[in-house]
Amino acid sequence: MKKTEIEFTLNGKKKKVEVKPSDLLINLIREELYLTGTKYACGIGECGACTVLLDGEPVLSCLTLAITVAGKEITTIEGLAQDEELHPLQRAFLEQGAVQCGFCTPGMILTATALLKEKPQATEEEIRDYMRGNLCRCTGYVQIIKAIKSCTTGGEN
Amino acid sequence: MSTSRLLTQEFEYFAPHTLKEALDLLYKYKDEEVKILAGGTDLLVKMKTLDMKIDYLINLKEIPELKAVETNNQGLKIGATVPLSQLERREIIKEKYPALYEGIKSMAAIAIRNMATLPGNICNASPAGDTIPPLMVYEAQLRIVSKEGERLVPVEDFLRGVGETIIRKEELVSQVIIPAPPSNSGSAFSKKSRVKADIAKINLAIWLEREGKTCKDARIVLGSVFIKALRAKRAEGLLKGEMVSKELLTQVARQAAEEIKPIDDVRSTAEYRTTLARVMVEDTLKLAWERAGGELEG
Amino acid sequence: MEKQQFDFVGKDFAIKNVGKVTGKEVYSGDVSIPGQLYAVVLRSPYAHAEIKKVDYSEAEKMGAICIGPEDVPDYLYNERIVSIPDKTYRDRTVLPKDKVRHVGEALATCAAETEEEALAALKKIKVEWGRKWKPLVTLEEAMEDEAPPIHDYVYLGEEKVKIKNNIACTRDIEVGDMERGFEEADTVVERTFSTPRIYHLQMETKSAVCVPEADGGITVWVTSQGIHNVRILLGNIFNLPLNKVNVKRVTLGGSFGSSIQMNSITPICVALALKAKRPVKLVSTREDDLYDHAKYPLITKLKVGAKKDGTLTAAHCRVWVEIGGHNIQAYPYLGCVAGWFASLYRWKNLKYEGKAVYTNKVPTCAMQGYGNPQINFAVESLMDILAEELGMDPIELRLKNYVGKGEEFWGQGPTVRSIIRSCGVEEMLVEGAKLAEWEKRTLPLEKEGEIRRGIGVARGFHTSGTGGPNPGETIDYSGATIKINEDGSVDVLTALMDHGGGTWEAAAKIVAEVLKVPYEKVGIYNVDTRTTVFDVNTHATRGVYCGGGAVKYVAEKVKELLLNYAATLFKDLPENLELSCNHELGQAVIYPREIPENYKTLGEIAEYAHITSWGTLAYTATLRQKNCPPCFITHFVEVEVNTRTGEISIPRAVILGDSGTILNPALWEGQIIGAFSRGLGFALLEETKYDLKEGKLECKGMITDYKIPTTLEMPKLDNLLVRSAHTYEPTGPFGAKGIGEAALSSVGSAVANAIYNAIGIRFYELPITPEKVLKAWKEKEREESQERVGDKLNEY
Repeated sequence: MKKTEIEFTLNGKKKKVEVKPSDLLINLIREELYLTGTKYACGIGECGACTVLLDGEPVLSCLTLAITVAGKEITTIEGLAQDEELHPLQRAFLEQGAVQCGFCTPGMILTATALLKEKPQATEEEIRDYMRGNLCRCTGYVQIIKAIKSCTTGGEN
Repeated sequence: MSTSRLLTQEFEYFAPHTLKEALDLLYKYKDEEVKILAGGTDLLVKMKTLDMKIDYLINLKEIPELKAVETNNQGLKIGATVPLSQLERREIIKEKYPALYEGIKSMAAIAIRNMATLPGNICNASPAGDTIPPLMVYEAQLRIVSKEGERLVPVEDFLRGVGETIIRKEELVSQVIIPAPPSNSGSAFSKKSRVKADIAKINLAIWLEREGKTCKDARIVLGSVFIKALRAKRAEGLLKGEMVSKELLTQVARQAAEEIKPIDDVRSTAEYRTTLARVMVEDTLKLAWERAGGELEG
Repeated sequence: MEKQQFDFVGKDFAIKNVGKVTGKEVYSGDVSIPGQLYAVVLRSPYAHAEIKKVDYSEAEKMGAICIGPEDVPDYLYNERIVSIPDKTYRDRTVLPKDKVRHVGEALATCAAETEEEALAALKKIKVEWGRKWKPLVTLEEAMEDEAPPIHDYVYLGEEKVKIKNNIACTRDIEVGDMERGFEEADTVVERTFSTPRIYHLQMETKSAVCVPEADGGITVWVTSQGIHNVRILLGNIFNLPLNKVNVKRVTLGGSFGSSIQMNSITPICVALALKAKRPVKLVSTREDDLYDHAKYPLITKLKVGAKKDGTLTAAHCRVWVEIGGHNIQAYPYLGCVAGWFASLYRWKNLKYEGKAVYTNKVPTCAMQGYGNPQINFAVESLMDILAEELGMDPIELRLKNYVGKGEEFWGQGPTVRSIIRSCGVEEMLVEGAKLAEWEKRTLPLEKEGEIRRGIGVARGFHTSGTGGPNPGETIDYSGATIKINEDGSVDVLTALMDHGGGTWEAAAKIVAEVLKVPYEKVGIYNVDTRTTVFDVNTHATRGVYCGGGAVKYVAEKVKELLLNYAATLFKDLPENLELSCNHELGQAVIYPREIPENYKTLGEIAEYAHITSWGTLAYTATLRQKNCPPCFITHFVEVEVNTRTGEISIPRAVILGDSGTILNPALWEGQIIGAFSRGLGFALLEETKYDLKEGKLECKGMITDYKIPTTLEMPKLDNLLVRSAHTYEPTGPFGAKGIGEAALSSVGSAVANAIYNAIGIRFYELPITPEKVLKAWKEKEREESQERVGDKLNEY
């Protein structure tokens, strides 16, 4: 299959890569660009582990063709922390015990950043609803919800 | 041999910037296996899980005119690649088309709704598609375009069966047109599923038009109970022109449950779907009637 | 109870998890080696079919490296080697030699430069099938006389065993005189219960990377709960000296018991790498993973006798488990089920009969509890039934009969037992009842309306490890090397695995507490089998108690070395020196007792040991715990049952846990809540169903049709109360026991009991879906209306 060169922004940096039309964004990020924080867990859009931000909105990289992100901005979990400073959500996840095995965590945190951008004052109900597509088998979600709540404006803790 | 880890199909990719280019491509390759990419949430899953041949893929997402949402007194015109999440954020949809709003909100989760589109959900033609019953009760039409012209087809006539529609290979759905509902009308959507973010065991939408205490017009559409979304026409008939009472709604609900033809599958049973159809139609009728400004006695 | 002040134990830190929030954590599928090939696996479309020939010549012509049944060693093994060899059944090879025994069983494999190329090659493999049998899907059909044998012979240790009626193994146990016990009873209740096969759905699919080394050895990165067992198995299978197999510990993306055994793809990846003489990476697809492992189901026929006052007199427990196409240690499973059963209540006289049966389905294995949630559902449901028959409060009946302090607990079947020394059962039942407002509970008959609310209680436990005064059938020891670096920082080298539940945090805190070194200066990293001593596995809720216990033992040895050496510097006796943490300096300090101003920091002492060439302050040892203390749990769960739709929601729950001293409070709570969500899945939602004709999974390997709870199925934050009992385990590190598996054991039972309390319908089979609830509710209404008609007629 013919390869096409595409240019896109990954975590704030311009990237030029060659892709086949059938290449998935998840595999480009993980296998070609070695950013393995984006996780494969179901491959069919059911679990949210492969969530990345496309122009700031959470999308599933397992159902996104790499070629379609030409000219767009992609943020992965690796792009969230500014230099050595953790993003407030990353810190909150650690503090609230919201991380166990950690496999769902990148997708959880990225989805949560979009939620907080859209609804800085999100209520518990709104958080639960927004996060419902990110599966976690370890935590039972409660501490994840608490961590996100603590980052809302007016959030406790 | 398929895998959820990658796509094994070899195909040529196009990302046209105008609708005309897209239609030319569709026409050019109408005798080959061409797929249209809008949201990709159904298409890519199918490409991964089924041994599906595909020669050409046309991505519509770079065509500006398909990204527009037009609103006026006549209603709504939604471009083919507008993501569902953009629709759920619009006040007009929440206010005037609550069944559609509720249908969209019930679907999967935010990441999927950031990708998925209305025409995608319709063209996928799943009997359980959550936007289909709402679009049917609002008498939505699809603008179907090809190099040779265009036609308007009601969603109801568009669907034929599981995964089957009347669209021809050189055509695409460019717009979903939803007429403005008259005042004194009300609508609602309801769905049951195993967990909240899930394919429906059963879903339905109801739209009622009220004239005083009488139901002037009614549309009841149920999903996941037949090979395609099913309009409970006899149940609608029981309502039209009648004074609305709790007893009548119970009777209508019972009738609707008799019209469906559900099966046992991995998500639920025919028996459960039949009972739930009655319960859900009854509850949703009440809600739609209230939203139409009606009151219930007795 | 011993009261202790701790510097680090019981505090919340989470610095060991930083990589998990930044995307830097490396799981086995994240490992990439230059020059690696990618592997994919061909799996059987048939449930039970003879393999005549696997021809991969076309695939190899495309440049792929292939392995078929003929290429793998003849060595029969069991992938789970936690039990002693004599009690381990062996029935499998890396790829099946003669026939496939379930749909999805690996059959052949290809490796190529890319995953796409490997898949393209895989499509060229031709399989010639021989005889095909109708799949044996249910327990009953598998045991029929005319049923085709799934295995003819297997090995138990070195002994060849003939398999009859597809019965893989049995286990019968008797204590006391059951017949006499039932004669003494005033009331006898008997019911049959059933729990389904469910899928672990750990987020990470099983993966492996193998590098063939220049000396003929191999280095592998694998998904595993115990790297040393993987090393031993790979050495045995591929006939490699055990020092030439190096298994790297990588972070686990969840496991829940599914990687106690070496995963089936691990030796497949190794076989490919050895043939290709290049590194090979194999990441399972989710579809493959769903066809690879499942939780043991269980059918339990339970009969219990009691006196009028609620004193139990006897129990007869018969269990059947269909295990799928291979026996991943059903024998210890049957033993453990017996143990959980025997240790829940003082039955006095009991008889237990267990049977494990092969079927043509996915092999089953442990999943958080190793039979505990399964048998708990039967016992705790029956305790409620018995309480009702006796007219007793369910809590009172439990308090009267639970096995507690001073009594014997079977921690891993009948051969691993020890005396209970800490027990919070009474506290949890009594305090929990208050928190859950148990006294406001109404009876099913007193409720009305569309939505019925009910409350249920159930209690459970799990062992903390599989140690005991005498070694039983289970291998249990852990170890570590601990060294103080030249700047006073500390490294802990241990093969102890962390599933994410906080085992590492706990181990690091234990070391910090013993050596009084600030927690952040204790390093615990991914190591490998070559640089660590043996650790059996993080299973059986043994991480903190056994792994942490061993780490504590080694840390104390280092402390001894340290004090002895420091004594030479202070020109004093070691016993006159005090070791403590100076939080201001951020260092451990040592000083002569009562003269703290004369301190030397640990960094100074370590550096001095270094520059004077005294050596490294380090120690290596392994330790076997001599007890298996139970960690207890109690669930009070409220449910709302919608009688029009059959839907069940969980508005509120009160959960109490007894783990002795809690090392990681936030993660401890997280373990309990996480188990609660998995328990809700087990109780209400999950089951891997098979079509009876072809033996395929109804969900086709897609999680689209295998649902687990999401954020929206959990109770609201304020309605989920988690409390800890006030206990101290004298044999545990700083008084600690486990929690992991205990936390799940009674969730399903409490939910079922709550549903009964809400609508007066007893469910004997999990999951309790809306479909089942509505059906049962309609039947109940029909019966009641018939009764009413009957009563009416009687009046005339």
